[in-house]
Parts: sequence; structure tokens; C-alpha cells
Amino acid sequence: MGSVQIGLTCLCIDAPAGCTYAWGSRNGEWTEVAEIRRESILGLDNIRLDLPVAGLGSRSLAAFLDYIGLGFVATAWIVGVLVFAQWLAPGWTAVFVVAGLFLIDWGYFALQEILGGGRTLGKRLLKLRVVTAEGGTPAAGPLLIRNLVRSLDLFCGPLLMAVDPLSRRLGDRLAGTLVVHDRQRETAPVLGRVPPGWGARELAVVEAFLARARTLGDPAVAREMAERILARIRRDAPELMAGLDPAADPVAAVRQALQAEEG
Amino acid sequence: MDYARFVRLRRPLWEAFEAELAATRGSLRKAGYGTLEDMALRYRQVLHDHALAAARFPGTAAARRLQSLALEGTLRLTGEGRQRPAGLRVFFGRTFPLAFQRQLGLQGIAVALFLVAVVWGLTVAALRPAVGLAFLGPEAVRGLEEGRLWTSSLVTTVPPAVSSSQIATNNISVALTAWTGGVLAGLVPLYVVLLNGLMLGATLGVTMHYSLGAELLEFIAAHGLLELTLILVSAAAGLALGRALVAAGDRPRALALREASRDSLAVLLGCVPWFVVLALVEVFVSPSPEVPAGVKLTLGLALEGAFLALALRPISPEATDD
Repeated sequence: MGSVQIGLTCLCIDAPAGCTYAWGSRNGEWTEVAEIRRESILGLDNIRLDLPVAGLGSRSLAAFLDYIGLGFVATAWIVGVLVFAQWLAPGWTAVFVVAGLFLIDWGYFALQEILGGGRTLGKRLLKLRVVTAEGGTPAAGPLLIRNLVRSLDLFCGPLLMAVDPLSRRLGDRLAGTLVVHDRQRETAPVLGRVPPGWGARELAVVEAFLARARTLGDPAVAREMAERILARIRRDAPELMAGLDPAADPVAAVRQALQAEEG
Repeated sequence: MDYARFVRLRRPLWEAFEAELAATRGSLRKAGYGTLEDMALRYRQVLHDHALAAARFPGTAAARRLQSLALEGTLRLTGEGRQRPAGLRVFFGRTFPLAFQRQLGLQGIAVALFLVAVVWGLTVAALRPAVGLAFLGPEAVRGLEEGRLWTSSLVTTVPPAVSSSQIATNNISVALTAWTGGVLAGLVPLYVVLLNGLMLGATLGVTMHYSLGAELLEFIAAHGLLELTLILVSAAAGLALGRALVAAGDRPRALALREASRDSLAVLLGCVPWFVVLALVEVFVSPSPEVPAGVKLTLGLALEGAFLALALRPISPEATDD
């Protein structure tokens, strides 16, 4: 097995051209398993962070919700000033309306993101968050910058996001930020035994099935899928089936055979 | 390493890091040095595990758990947002002057282009007054024909406070437009510089045509110099963004833009309070016949001097924010 070298540029000796992160396979040939692209998020020690980048759809929906919020805030401000107008000196009602709307227009998004750790109302509802290009918490400056060019992004942002692997709009490129899904930590079952020859795809499918088996509406469907997984285990690693009760619940049998533990 | 062994060996570490994150939620500053050192070490190990899982076991429960853990750890432990923001004193005493001084070249270009546009507008208005009149509109022209400037309407048609707020928001909007438009290859700040120069030149030319040039200069004496300076400085900050986009040099464009935007934002933010001061001057001092022209000019020069003194304040090398 050859050595492994990780880097920003092509560092693999005797590796295929363009390979930037290679792993020696069992037959001695180099196999590219991941490519560190220029668009990658590189964290501490230039380790590639595979963050759940939010795409055009979820971000557009968050922006839509935020603009509804903006409309409410602006309306509430005008109504509030008009209610208190009788206690204001003549002319000052218009001053408060003009200055307030100006500040709301330019500050609504930026202020929320600065105070909310990269989250606006729409982003909170859709569980999105602004992070730096390295995945960290952005400072106030970049958050301000990305929102100052928001009006331009209404025109060119969607196109830029559609063609960018990290879905960055103009403001994100200017500020060095990106938006990620800020989900709860996974607690799906993790397999303790893996039949030989099973790859990441099989592992992911079985783990996802075990996580959702209890919530499937039709128990017969769950049993049928579990039977198919058991048949595959029987074929690839019959030794894992030793000691299992043939009459037991198939889902429980899959858990037992693969020693699935809650994450 | 196979998946099961990977999970078996590394899971205690992930659980320990999760427990540390939970224990220090909302109070990282109160955590002891030993705890932070442990967290930093485990964070680094979690990042390595995350990269390995993402590459070799994508889509698995362990990979997804590590993804969440890496994101939470990175957010909690890294990023400039974790640092306490510098106060206004540091900003106006160091950050703003440094950023301003780094953009002196572009500010020189903006001033030169502006002066060319002023001369151009003045020439057009002198040779063809009708073209110059088009800039002002029929209302203002009628006033000029009657021997008065349109500026008196600033305080006669609406209350001064309303005029102040409108002028301040309008000027800040122009500065923001010039700044943000910089990302369109610098074309918008160029447009703002040239249009303002052309309008000033044409307006001067037309008022001189009606023998009211001295009155106009008296009106703008208190606020005009600094107002134009601020517009030009904001436009130069926008030009810096355009330059980073068009001529990024040997750096990636994204990096050049990020670097340029930091200085440009500091310059823009340093200009904003002055716009508010100028709006008050423009409404309460500039149109007032009771304030002598000499006082207005002195005030204008004093404001310009104060701004430039702040912006060009020498910063000692050890006090730089680089």
C-alpha cells in the first residue's frame, strides 16, 4: 500500500494527473477518492470540510420569508411613528419615517445576521446559517459587506449561485462567506459489523433504513425491505447470520446481524 | 481501515468532543485553559475523521454525524466573529485612517476625473447654456431668471429637519451606490464621479450665466467641499472593488475581492457619520442669509480639515491592524 499525501496542489507521486488526494488501493494502483478543488472549503490545517452547503432553492425561500419580514417591520415602523406623531414636534414625523425606512432598508438583513450569528428570520426558519469560507463564525464586517450588495444580487445572484459549487452569490464572494444548513446532529444507528465488499452506498442505505424502519407507515414494507437486506447479508457474509432466530422480526435480525448501535 | 473499526475506534473521541461542546455552550469564555486545550486537540482530530469519513464513507451515519460535529466545532472555535469587536475609537483612530491611506492612489484618480468632468460641464454650459439648463430643470431655471437660487426651497417648502434627513439619506445612498456598484468592474463609481463633476460644472456655468455664481459658491461653501470629498472617497472605495475584480494580479479574484472589500468597507463606514453632519450644515447654515459668507467658508474648510486630519493621521508601524 502506497503512502498518502494530501495537499492543495497535485502532490501525488506516480498518481494520475490532476489527482490531489489519493489513496493506495489493495492492488497497488492509485485511486482518486476525493479532489480538493479551488472551491473547496478548507478548514484548519487545510483539511477539506465537507459542509452541507445550502443551494439556490432553500436560500431563495429564506430570502422570500425575510422580505416578507422586512415588509412587516417597515409597515410597523410607519404605523408606530404615526401613532406617536401627536407627541412629536411638527415635521419630525416625516424625519422619523424617512430615517427609519432608510435604516430598515439597508440594515434589516445585516443587523439580524450580526446579532444572530449569521442568521436572519428566514434563515432561522429554514435552519440556514452564514459561515466564513473556512466554516467559522463571520465577523460583523463581512456580514455587512455581503448585505450591502444585496440589491445587485437580486439580479445576478441566482445565476451566480446556480453555477457555483458552493452556491455563493456576489455578496458571498465579496465577503468570503457561504451559507450552510445548520441541522441537528445525526443520531442514526451506526453499523458495528460490515459484510466484506460493502461500500459506503450499501452502508448508507442500511443505516438510513434502520433509522426510519420504526416510522414507516406500513410494517409489511419494512419487513420486506429487511428481508432483502438479510438476503444480501446471507449471500455476502453468512457467518454474520449465525445464531439468529429465523422466526424473529427481520428488522431486529438486521440490527442484530450488523450489530447496529444507536448513534 | 474498515467502517466498523473506524467507528469503534473513534466514537469515544466524538462523544467526548460532543460532551465538551455541550458543557461549554454559551460560555466558552468561562471554560478553563485545560478544557480549551482539550477541545482544540479533539476538534483537530474530529476534522481529520470528518475528512476521512466524507471521502471514504460518504452518506453514512458516521459521516453525517461528523459533518455536523465539524460544523459546530468550527463555528464555536474559529472565525473572527468569535473575537470581541474593536470599538469606535480603534476604528476611527486606526482602521479607517489606514484603509483611507491605502486607497490614496485611487482617490487621486477619482479627484482628477471629477475635475475633468467639472471643466467639461463648465465648458458645455458656457458654450451652450441650453444644455446646462437641462440639468437643473424648469423650476430652477425660472428662479434663476427671477434672480434667485433654487436652494432657498430647501427650507421654505419643507421643514429643515425633513430636508436634513432627506439630504443625509440621499447622500449616503449615493455613496452606497457608488461603493456597491464597484463590483460591476468599477463602472458605477466612475459614472457617479463623472456625473457629479459634470453637474457641478454645468450648474456653476449656468448660474454664472445668470450672474448668480457668487451666490451658488456661497451656498456650497459650508458643506460642498466635504460633501464632494466624501462622494469621491466612497467612489474611490468602489473603484478599489472594481480594480480587484478586473486586475486581481497573481491572486485568485475571490481573494483579491475579499481583501479589497475590507478596506473599502472601512472607508465607507468612516464617511457615513460625516454625511449626517453635512446634512445639518446644508439645511441650517448654507441657505441662511444671516450667516456671513466668510463664516460659511471657514466652517467648510474646518470640516474638510477635520476629516482629512482624521483620515491622514499618521499611524505608527507597530499600531497597524495588518
